[in-house]
Amino acid sequence: MKNRLRVLRAEREWSQGDLAKRLEVSRQSVNAIETGKFDPSLPLAFKLARLFGMRIEEIFSEEE
Amino acid sequence: MWCTSNPAQRLYVARMMWAALFCIVFSSAAVLGIRHGHVTGFASYVLAVLPAVPVAWTLVITGAYLSAEKDEFQRNLYIQAILCGVAATLAVVTAWGYMEDFGRAPRLGLTWVYPMFWIFVAVAKPLVGRRYR
Repeated sequence: MKNRLRVLRAEREWSQGDLAKRLEVSRQSVNAIETGKFDPSLPLAFKLARLFGMRIEEIFSEEE
Repeated sequence: MWCTSNPAQRLYVARMMWAALFCIVFSSAAVLGIRHGHVTGFASYVLAVLPAVPVAWTLVITGAYLSAEKDEFQRNLYIQAILCGVAATLAVVTAWGYMEDFGRAPRLGLTWVYPMFWIFVAVAKPLVGRRYR
């Protein structure tokens, strides 16, 4: 899955650590999701969407 | 083993330390008591089985940790490391068993299987983590 996490995080000037703290996960988790190497579960995707005030499909999209 | 950054991991490490301590104490008691002939009869069977209690306990502790870990990525990493540990241990023990049968290797005590498993898990954890960097 592709995602816009890096851009959204940069817009808010958050480090990976800042985002990890807000999501209550490790920084490695944020990095793995950001680089598309790990797809988050639906609850975590909803948590991300709530945090950025967006819909899940505005953050994540299928790779073509 | 890893940076203990969340409560579930801290609790897991603390519990595992206690289990390891009991394992060492019970194993030492079994070796000293049975090998040196201080304990005989039924008590020697009880003493021989005693080190398996903390061994089983660590598996319960690990299951409890996996249930308590809220970070799904860390949980995923650890499950993968455990699977690698199981696979490597089974492969080594099976290969060693055949070598033993054919007289190509010395006897490997079964008591080494359990520490071998955790050594493989400890080695696998950072290797599995590297895939996601």
